[in-house]
Amino acid sequence: MSGGAAADVMLRAMWLWVALVPLAAWAVARLFLGYPPSAFAQLSRRAAAFGAAAAAAAFPPGGAVPLSGSEAGVPGHLDRYLAALAGRNRLLIRLLLVFFEHATLFFPGPGASGFRRFSKLDPAQRIAVLESWSRSPLRARRIVFTSLRTILTMGYFDSPAVLRATGLAPLAIETPVVDADLLYPRIGRGRDTVQCRPEDRARTVSRAPLDPRGPLHPAFAEPEAPR
Amino acid sequence: MSDPRAWPGELRVFADYDRDFCEEADVVVVGSGPCGAVAAYELAAAGRRVALLEEGPPFTPSEFTIDGALSMARTMREGGLRFTSGYVMPTMQAIALGGGSLVNSAICGRCPDFRLEEWAAAAELERTGRKDLEPHYDAVAEFLGIAPTPDEVQGRRNLLFRDGCKALGYSAEPTARNAVGCRGSGECFTGCRARAKQSMDISYVPGALRLGARVLTSLQVQQVHATGRRATGVSGQVVEPLSGRPGPRFRVDAKAVVLAAGVLATPILLQRSGDLANSSRQVGENLQFHPGTSVLGVFPDPVEPVFGATQGYQSLHFLREGFKLETLWAPPAVLAVRMPGFGQQFKSQLRDLGHATVWDAIASCHRSRGRVRERRGLGGGGLNPAMSWRFHPEDAAILGRAVWVLCEIFFAAGARKVVPGVASLADEMHSLGEAEVLRRRVPGAKDMIVASTHVFGTTRMNGDPRRGVVDEDLRAHDLDNLYVVDTGVFPMSPAVNPMFTGMALARRSAQALAARL
Repeated sequence: MSGGAAADVMLRAMWLWVALVPLAAWAVARLFLGYPPSAFAQLSRRAAAFGAAAAAAAFPPGGAVPLSGSEAGVPGHLDRYLAALAGRNRLLIRLLLVFFEHATLFFPGPGASGFRRFSKLDPAQRIAVLESWSRSPLRARRIVFTSLRTILTMGYFDSPAVLRATGLAPLAIETPVVDADLLYPRIGRGRDTVQCRPEDRARTVSRAPLDPRGPLHPAFAEPEAPR
Repeated sequence: MSDPRAWPGELRVFADYDRDFCEEADVVVVGSGPCGAVAAYELAAAGRRVALLEEGPPFTPSEFTIDGALSMARTMREGGLRFTSGYVMPTMQAIALGGGSLVNSAICGRCPDFRLEEWAAAAELERTGRKDLEPHYDAVAEFLGIAPTPDEVQGRRNLLFRDGCKALGYSAEPTARNAVGCRGSGECFTGCRARAKQSMDISYVPGALRLGARVLTSLQVQQVHATGRRATGVSGQVVEPLSGRPGPRFRVDAKAVVLAAGVLATPILLQRSGDLANSSRQVGENLQFHPGTSVLGVFPDPVEPVFGATQGYQSLHFLREGFKLETLWAPPAVLAVRMPGFGQQFKSQLRDLGHATVWDAIASCHRSRGRVRERRGLGGGGLNPAMSWRFHPEDAAILGRAVWVLCEIFFAAGARKVVPGVASLADEMHSLGEAEVLRRRVPGAKDMIVASTHVFGTTRMNGDPRRGVVDEDLRAHDLDNLYVVDTGVFPMSPAVNPMFTGMALARRSAQALAARL
């Protein structure tokens, strides 16, 4: 190859790079950057965006149970759930969320804009993506989807209002004091912090079967209207 | 009523450990689940100095949470996110004082005669028949107040199962449980707020403390020590509750060692301890489960599912075919997962939950086996297992048939639709005619949502030292004073829920050990 031809090839390669680098930067930015700050301790920006988008797709506002996923606090529950997990499992759940956010690269939503990350898809596209995971002929895909759905649904059902709306709020139970309650402190505390006393065992507590229409667990009861 | 704080035993919790320490005992029992707690109690009752070690903390009612996700994250090993490889299946093991009894549904079934006979034949057992185990079953039943679930706390969702079975001529009965004064909250899986379930932390463990046992929580045993044919003790590390962060080290020297760390942890402990008790090469092999699946049914009228014993009714009608049927209630979110659809469609389905109930099947799967080894790499360390397990097609077909039978019972009980949770079939079926497809085309392993909490076989009992790890007293063939008393010793499935049989065997083993000391 002559010197001129070599220079020509180099020039073409340089122009190709000049064209490709911004394109690659644009693709990276479109796929991975531009997330708003996360308001959570455990959820990264990306995971928080995905959590909110997935909750909105699974639980839109209105309908049979009026609360939306965000009103029910699904992303906040995700954050608390991550905080409760240790090491490997926290990592696995984080990976699951991030994986779903970007799996649209390989399993896109419908339409020309379906290759955008999950949180950028419109609501109908999000539902279509989730639907395709749930109905996949591949068991592995269905298992991964079931894991996601379980986590989101657990967050939704952590809301007392959702439990009341579905008739599944737990009932009030008075907890009796047994011998063991005089021995065990709260987790992580010393035995000198045990609150129960021997005389507490004599406290009368109903042993009758619960009334399914009886009072609800105080944490799940309808808040009293302000006077 | 005596004051437990004046009992001769001693309880230690995480806050009590500030430095490395050594202890001595006649017997060290590793694991406070149903089998370990029974063994510790029996040994203490026989006057032996017992140290009962538990990795988890005691839970108080104020720490029970009804939120299924958080409850599992706190009470289950690895946050409840364990699964097998090979055939991917979730499986859960508890980490708490009282082990699985804190978060199981208290079912206490005696191993049926036909299965004990199969055990005897397959594992060369001479003293593990009905008449041998009956006194031990009876003693445990009396201690825990095991009795059939009373009608008053069944609730409609359990009684519908009874009605459906009756209409079809299938036998059904109230489930016998270790629950005294159950109020029907259906919260067994997240901790019994009514303190009715006689989990080990409020029954056998306090019983052992009353008799002078030492109960040391937040201790992870990492090694069993042995010299020649004698175990000399165990050692390990203090672990912080919930986080698992390591603390000071400890060692307990003892005249005998009883392992009840669970079917997945006990073999790992032996493997880590120089492949102890493994001349048969069976430690960690023969991993077996009771895979289970469930069907959700929706009725025309409200079922009010928040009331009723968690698993109040069962059918043993198909036991010889290989499966057992049960009613089931769990945190609503867990049950809702199988509801089909998304968005508003999904939310409409959720409204059905107040009219719904779930029934499940567990299968005896002798052909489906695997193995357990210590996990290396990410998530390794501690006693975390790497489990490989294959679901044999013939065993999967047994569970697949159970799905059809459950649908049949639902429609016989008056359900307006069922959600079988079988991939590649309709999400919902509205009549027995529609569900017939399940009979014609039995679902396979890949079609079903399967999970398991019953595990067996990894330290199996066998009369022949070449084919098993322990003998009929649950003493290791290879060591004179090492015992394994968890359900890992089962040579195969007990056909029903394993806890009660595990406790009966543990009681017999502890008495044999006490007599030898």
